[in-house]
Amino acid sequence: MNYGLHLLIYFDIYAILALSLNLIVGNSGLFTMAQAAYFAVGGYTYAILTMNFGFGFIPAAASAMFVGGILSLAVSLPAWRFRGDFFVLITLAVQSLLFNVINNWSNTDFPPGTIRNLTNGPLGLAGIAGPTIWGTKLDTMRSLSVLSSVLLVICCLVFWLLQVSPWVRLLKSMRDDELAARGLGKNVRLLKIQVLTIGCAFAALSGAVYSSYVTFIDPSIATLDQSILLLSMLIVGGTGNFRGPLVGAAVLLALPEILRLVQLPDWMAGNVRLLVYGLLLIAMVHFRPQGLAGEYKLR
Amino acid sequence: MQIILNGLISGSAIALLAVAFQSVYLPTRVFFLGLAGVYAMAPFIAYGVLNSGGGWMLAIPLTLSLCVAVSIACEWANHAPLSRRNASDGAHLIASLGIYIIIVQVISLVWGNDAKALRTGLNATTQIATLVVTEAQLITLCGSTLLVGGTALFLTRTDLGVRLRALADNPLEFQLFGYDLNSHRILAFAMAGFLASADSLFVSFDVGFDPHLGMNALLLAVVVVIIGGYDSFWGPALAGALLGILRALVVWFLGAQWQDATTFILLVFFLFMRPQGLLGRSRRLEVQI
Repeated sequence: MNYGLHLLIYFDIYAILALSLNLIVGNSGLFTMAQAAYFAVGGYTYAILTMNFGFGFIPAAASAMFVGGILSLAVSLPAWRFRGDFFVLITLAVQSLLFNVINNWSNTDFPPGTIRNLTNGPLGLAGIAGPTIWGTKLDTMRSLSVLSSVLLVICCLVFWLLQVSPWVRLLKSMRDDELAARGLGKNVRLLKIQVLTIGCAFAALSGAVYSSYVTFIDPSIATLDQSILLLSMLIVGGTGNFRGPLVGAAVLLALPEILRLVQLPDWMAGNVRLLVYGLLLIAMVHFRPQGLAGEYKLR
Repeated sequence: MQIILNGLISGSAIALLAVAFQSVYLPTRVFFLGLAGVYAMAPFIAYGVLNSGGGWMLAIPLTLSLCVAVSIACEWANHAPLSRRNASDGAHLIASLGIYIIIVQVISLVWGNDAKALRTGLNATTQIATLVVTEAQLITLCGSTLLVGGTALFLTRTDLGVRLRALADNPLEFQLFGYDLNSHRILAFAMAGFLASADSLFVSFDVGFDPHLGMNALLLAVVVVIIGGYDSFWGPALAGALLGILRALVVWFLGAQWQDATTFILLVFFLFMRPQGLLGRSRRLEVQI
């Protein structure tokens, strides 16, 4: 039972993350590889605020979203000038920078979470408080899964409303022909800032849920491998609509469980999982560019 | 002075990989991330041959030819079909990322995830005035310089090289002159595989290797291509040397953990201040985006 709930919580977390990435990649065509770093930013913000300042879940998660949204400027300002491969490269640079900051902002002479030892470096922050909402501590698997599922439903609602809004239609027009959108007098610079702020803020929210559930966070969640996993979710599930990211998150989270059934030895399980991700990426690009349930064809 | 020399040597290796990346990127516009897989694979093949009793005389040609074969296979089975369908840059990039992941995971499954070394024992050193250079560093510096110089000669002095440059300039016109696009693309991929695997052997011989070193090395090479100017040949070579020196200075003054961050800050600085790179030509706005 607990195992099923654990999977449900992970699905909720990654589904929010995939939806946030879909908003950016699927609708605006801005191919970001830095989403895992914003996930980590959210996780760390939540951890520091709850550990050191006694914040409850809602203010801490809201602050995480705020910090993620502000830091998204690191990706959105370069997006004014760059598209395609060069934008991907900029986002890789941002990913690397944020990872380096998280990995190196430490000084073991000071307690973790303080300004001199903000992230505790590679050791990470342990003992993060579980979510507390209006004085009630949610510490059972069942209550945590309800919380994450409610958050997923709220996020789904927000993304669905966005997806059917004129704003996303404008984003799609920018994705398909930026010059034409500019020619029609649309402010694409503002649009890029908006979409990346919203996308990164929701990535930070899922990071906050992650760290409140796992109660430990270290820089490994901000690595390039994590970004690749997210990208795979989007490519496999499909982009540009609402269903795709949910399907992608479900498939890629189910994959390790299926591999567990095959009873691979421990030393090869991780490698085989990544190998399958690689094969899926190639297969999808060649045979089903719109993903399993997507709308936008990555031609 | 010693720091600058060390930086110059590691910079020459970065520059060689940059030339390898460019040799695919310019003629085909494919962002060949799979090259990072080829780069990661090379020392493992050499390691396998050396461990099974074959000497360097067998290991080097076998490694280079296998890496060239894999590079050609990437084009033949993946990028060429995508290009025939007019796939977008994004599709090429993702498929190429898939290839990189597959190669790295296969390497990890066969040889394990831990770091290895191609040589045993201490490195012989040579003293030049007050500077100390190890044997492996000397091989890297000479080998990289020779290969970059050789590639420059190939591209400017031979008929085939000139044709590759023509292809980079305008693929459509190139075909209108009756040249075969596919075979020249395969040649570009073969060249990239050859240069990247040679570079990988130099670096691994010096500092050891593990399955995950490819992506970082390739990203550095791409940074160098952008800083140097992606349509220039000598720009990336110069930028490679400069970046190598900068990284060595960062290790000396700030610590090794800030190397990558500084590199990417430099990249962002160039992209904003001088997007055409050190020696690149500035272009019209619609070509840039």
